[in-house]
Amino acid sequence: MSNQRQASSASQVPHLSPAELSYLYTSLSLPKNPIRPDGRSPTQFRPLSAETNILPGTNGSARIGFADGTQAIVGVKASVEKTILAADTLDSRSLAQHGDALNREGEEGSAAVSGQGEWVQMSIEIPGYRDDDALPVFLGEMMRESLVGSVAGGSEEVKEMAGGLKGRLVINKRWHWRLYIDVLLLSQPLAYPLPLLSLTTHLALLSTKLPKLKSTGEEDPFFDDDWAVAEYLYPRSNKQSSPSDAPTYPVRPPVTLLVIAVGENVIFDPNREEIAVADAVLAISITRSSDSENMKLLSIRSIDPPSRLTQPGIPNSENVNMLGGPPASSNQSGGQEEVGGVWRPRRGGVQRSVITRMIKTVLQKGGVGEEVIQGLEGVKVE
Amino acid sequence: MKSLRRDLSANPQAANVTSKVYVRSLKNGKVQKIVRELYLREDIPCSSKLCGQCPTIAPADANGNIAPFVLSDRPAGTTAFPRGHYLVPDTNALLNGMDLFEHTGAFYDVIVLQTVLEELKNRSLPLYNRLLALVKSDEKRFYLFFNEFRRETHVRRGPDESINDRNDRAVRLVASWYSSHLQQSIRKGKKEKAIPAIVVITDDKENLRKCKEENVTALSLSDYVSGLEGSDMLLDMISESKDARDSKETNRGELFYPEYYSMSKLKTGLGAGTLHQGVFNVSPYNYLEASVKTASFDKPLLILGRDNSNRAIAGDSVVVEVLPQDQWKSPSTKIMDEEAVTRNDNPETEETEAVVSERERKALQEEVKKAHGKTSEGKPQPTAKVVGVIKRGWRQYVGHVDSNSTGAQSSGRRQQNVFLLPMDKRIPKIRVRTRQAANIVGQRILVTIDAWDRDSRYPTGHFIRSLGELETKGAETEALLLEYDVQYKPFPKSVLDCLPSEGHDWKVPVSKEDKGWNGRKDLRDLLICSIDPPGCQDIDDALHARVLPNGNFEVGVHIADVSHFVKPNNPMDLEASIRGTTVYLVDKRIDMLPHLLGTDLCSLKPYVERYAFSVLWEMTPDAEIVSSNFTKSVIRSREAFSYEQAQLRIDDKSQNDELTQSMRTLLKFSKILRQKRMDAGALNLASPEVRIEADSDEVGDPLTDVKTKAMLDTNSLVEEFMLLANITVGTKVYESFSQTALLRRHATPPPQNFEELQNQLSKKRNMELDVSSSRALADSLDRCVDPKNPFFNTLVRILATRCMTSAEYFCAGAFAESEFRHYGLASPIYTHFTSPIRRYADLMVHRQLASAIGYEGEDGHAINEGVATRNKLEDICRNINVRHRNAQHAGRASIEYYVGQALKARGEKMAADGVDAGIEEEGYVMRVFENGVVIFVPRFGIEGVVRLEDFVLPGESGARSVAERRELVPHRTTDFDNEEYTLRVSEKGHPEAERSVTVELFQKVRVNISSVKEEGRGAGKRRVRILVTQA
Repeated sequence: MSNQRQASSASQVPHLSPAELSYLYTSLSLPKNPIRPDGRSPTQFRPLSAETNILPGTNGSARIGFADGTQAIVGVKASVEKTILAADTLDSRSLAQHGDALNREGEEGSAAVSGQGEWVQMSIEIPGYRDDDALPVFLGEMMRESLVGSVAGGSEEVKEMAGGLKGRLVINKRWHWRLYIDVLLLSQPLAYPLPLLSLTTHLALLSTKLPKLKSTGEEDPFFDDDWAVAEYLYPRSNKQSSPSDAPTYPVRPPVTLLVIAVGENVIFDPNREEIAVADAVLAISITRSSDSENMKLLSIRSIDPPSRLTQPGIPNSENVNMLGGPPASSNQSGGQEEVGGVWRPRRGGVQRSVITRMIKTVLQKGGVGEEVIQGLEGVKVE
Repeated sequence: MKSLRRDLSANPQAANVTSKVYVRSLKNGKVQKIVRELYLREDIPCSSKLCGQCPTIAPADANGNIAPFVLSDRPAGTTAFPRGHYLVPDTNALLNGMDLFEHTGAFYDVIVLQTVLEELKNRSLPLYNRLLALVKSDEKRFYLFFNEFRRETHVRRGPDESINDRNDRAVRLVASWYSSHLQQSIRKGKKEKAIPAIVVITDDKENLRKCKEENVTALSLSDYVSGLEGSDMLLDMISESKDARDSKETNRGELFYPEYYSMSKLKTGLGAGTLHQGVFNVSPYNYLEASVKTASFDKPLLILGRDNSNRAIAGDSVVVEVLPQDQWKSPSTKIMDEEAVTRNDNPETEETEAVVSERERKALQEEVKKAHGKTSEGKPQPTAKVVGVIKRGWRQYVGHVDSNSTGAQSSGRRQQNVFLLPMDKRIPKIRVRTRQAANIVGQRILVTIDAWDRDSRYPTGHFIRSLGELETKGAETEALLLEYDVQYKPFPKSVLDCLPSEGHDWKVPVSKEDKGWNGRKDLRDLLICSIDPPGCQDIDDALHARVLPNGNFEVGVHIADVSHFVKPNNPMDLEASIRGTTVYLVDKRIDMLPHLLGTDLCSLKPYVERYAFSVLWEMTPDAEIVSSNFTKSVIRSREAFSYEQAQLRIDDKSQNDELTQSMRTLLKFSKILRQKRMDAGALNLASPEVRIEADSDEVGDPLTDVKTKAMLDTNSLVEEFMLLANITVGTKVYESFSQTALLRRHATPPPQNFEELQNQLSKKRNMELDVSSSRALADSLDRCVDPKNPFFNTLVRILATRCMTSAEYFCAGAFAESEFRHYGLASPIYTHFTSPIRRYADLMVHRQLASAIGYEGEDGHAINEGVATRNKLEDICRNINVRHRNAQHAGRASIEYYVGQALKARGEKMAADGVDAGIEEEGYVMRVFENGVVIFVPRFGIEGVVRLEDFVLPGESGARSVAERRELVPHRTTDFDNEEYTLRVSEKGHPEAERSVTVELFQKVRVNISSVKEEGRGAGKRRVRILVTQA
């Protein structure tokens, strides 16, 4: 089975026998308290260590390593680019005539100009995959869409972020920043790498700085050559009680979490084996909205669960080897039947109530989403 | 997980590595974050000769030599530092006092920090280059200390520290490190001698305070200088510091000029095409009018008035914005001198001043009125205002102090402001603060401009040095050379070391086996002679002609083989490439090459063998070229003629020797060649040149030395063959070096340049000037003849020449082949080959030609180094174009000065009654203004402005003194016709024709010329005054 075919599904299917799959499924779908292979609780994440600003040449960078040895590095580079204008604004004469007017509205003008999603470019490199393989492309698009889609709610606090990340990239009507986010997975993907990459990207963006703009209004941009005065892409709140406190961010980049449903249970940060038996795999992007402490849902993507690709188990009752005689032809329809302890690839949808519960667990106050974001806030970004 | 970040705490070696992070903006608008790693070291020496430790650790080069130590072991002491001291200036000290640091009387043993040097580079490139020059020369003992790379003196920037604070800290750290380092490492045996003080020079108050805290000796620049000898003069050399100006600004708050646009706004505007960039060019007749030639328009944009020119000074590269159409004006028809209009300004106070004084404003209004009046020719032209300065073209200016501005209380040592009037009329007066006003009045002085702030009407500058008394020969000559940026210092030793060791005894090797004969043809048996101006010592060229067996002729031009003596890239070559050309003043020649080469070894002197580079043609008796050939050669000139001698010999029927015969052949050919050239459309141009033969005796009338250049047949003989050689060589080098051949072009002038002259000719003389091609122009110039006025044709030619662009050197790759054309000579390609002794371009062309013909040099490998690098050649072209122009201007100014002095000497001799009677001459009206005319006097080759008071009206008493005549101005009135180019001057209330003088363009007038002292404003400034006595 080629990688190609699996690429779009959640991960390579581990080489587990139908019996093992069945066992795993049963343990994970135990009502109320599923038993996970590594003993975690359903909402528990694998331990990770993180650091930022590891690549001096980039505008911002971060690295996260999971305890299982998977590691990712993200580097963010920014470059100035000319905005392609609509034909009417291109006319230099009108520019000159309105020059003063433009300059005056320059301050709030940047808010009026909306950015474009394509100004954020993401490339993901995973060992063993080409960059045009489906998995990296799909992952990249999934993270990018929530990044550029996240628009901060209240604008009174940080007006730079009023238009979300897209708006932040606008310099003036004719110039903008282009962000290149390069994601590098250092190890073989032991699990579906989405959460790792998303968390690393999140930290890298928080540490990203842009040179300080010295020109004003509609002038060609001109920057301070002192890197020490460069400004954060995601502005930091100056309401720090003491310098030792971690800085607070009125606006944070989104985080994408991977959630699976096994039976009635909702399980976070699944490993490869867990995904293999999942009924449904969802990628949920959230962010903390700026005006309230609540989590905000940005997007949900369902990911093709790989369990459908697994071989079904054969109940002992039908097994020729076991019985030594010809199988009972009357039981041919048994393929549809649930037989305890026999692996049967999942078919069909998931219950609506399960999806609701998945989302609720993420978003509710004190829920997993908040926990993750708080955990990330604990990482000191310098 | 082990951190990937470099952890400085854990690694004992980590202190050696640090990084520097900054943002780099690229030309295309991109920005990059740059991270540089620095590897710190401990072997960068302190370079003090006192140190016993550094010589052992200093890094050595491949030969095991370490760089010699710079700082003296016995540094000069002052009253404050009797045991000697080393100076550590910070950036501002250098910005404000670079002239002091260059001064030879003080400021020795200076430690220049890398931090400071880099900061200076960002702030001012010219100052950076000057500092580098100081570091390179050994005399002043400046040591560039790479403090950023030495571990002990490297400073890491603190988390909230500004760059300035960090740099200041670096300076302090170096000072304290030097003290302790010298303490420890001073050579044994010298212990008894005390260690020199390390003195930080800074004008930053905060830095001074911190120095005190940290026990570092620090002084402000002026405090330090006050403790030196001759401090008055030295203090004048400090630029007015930024701080002082800032505080003034906050005090006063009155701003005369609009602010410049921000750099980014300028860039945006230039990119969008709403702003334009060009060089600010002030009119020589009206200091309030300037023009800026921009790439976007055919004609230059006009800039009128002080607030529109907004602190730009002639030569600055400025950005302008076009004014709305209702503010367009025609160029001025009035002569305006800054001195005359703003005579009463007081340099000390500015409270009452507006940028445009009422008087200036009134003068301008009249302009507008004129523009709006009858406008056939005076059509309003687009005007513009300066909104930013890209690059200041400021240099050092020569001038004299306006004695009116020194004030009454010039006694004592009090510092006061004075105005300096630059020699160059296009430069505004400069306010200079000085303590020695009384001493420098009446002297030629050199100043520099420091700044021109918005709250100051005039630029501020500071005194550099005095050149001597006004009107003394030495001072005036030096002033001239400085004004035209002529390198006049004697050749340094490194250059003289490149001369052949034999000196004047150098000879062409006798044995043909000698390597000097490699690739050279023996042409010693040819009858070669040279024809030059009388007294010429640097003979570049010689000629010969002889009959060939087939009936054709062989004609040869032999040029001094300078490239044999000047090898590429040695100090002599570099010096020559900087000088670019020899400059001829009336009584002085500033050589491009050392004397030994120019006047002896290279010079094609008669009767001796010399190396030459020969161009040989085979010509039919009709002067058709059959073939041409180039070769290095050895020649022996038979005779060196002056033009006159040659002419006499040719004309002398009794002389029939071979040499004379060949000269006759040459003359015959030259006439054919000349005719061909004229047929092709070459222009016969005229420039108002006179020659001064200064070798006549003292008792005679000095004015008799002034001669207009006579044109003999032999002049044109030499000229024709030189042109032919240049064209032939140009073709050859272009064949071989299609990208890098050094050529000379004369661009076809745009027809609109001639518009005004065409208009004037058709109005006044009903003549037409056809400028459609050079041929047409040549023909129509020939037709511009006034039978009553034989000089008229020359006058028109002079005026036509001024409408053209000047010829320039260029690199073949820089233009399309069709653009190579030399308009004036009507030749498709041209270069300079024939005067390598006095022009660097010719020397380069010699090298290119040698390479093109495969000449291998005396040691067998070609010396074609540097003939094929285009960037370098383009740099050379740029430089020699400027030098060439400057040399011409300097030469002309020198003649002008000489004529003035001759008139003065004559006047003093003639004037028994104390009043100079002047000399009567013929003059021609070149330009007519509303309040005066410009008169050209061919006898002396000078042109001068004649103002109202200098018209002698019929029936007027012959008052001659300047003061008396000036009284006349208020009583005079004029009637100016812009379209007919006439000006009628009369007394107020007496418009009758018989009591007035009417002059018109091209008119011949009688003038009285004398050299007068400007009175009233004192300071013994002289000018040549022209009085119109008879129209």
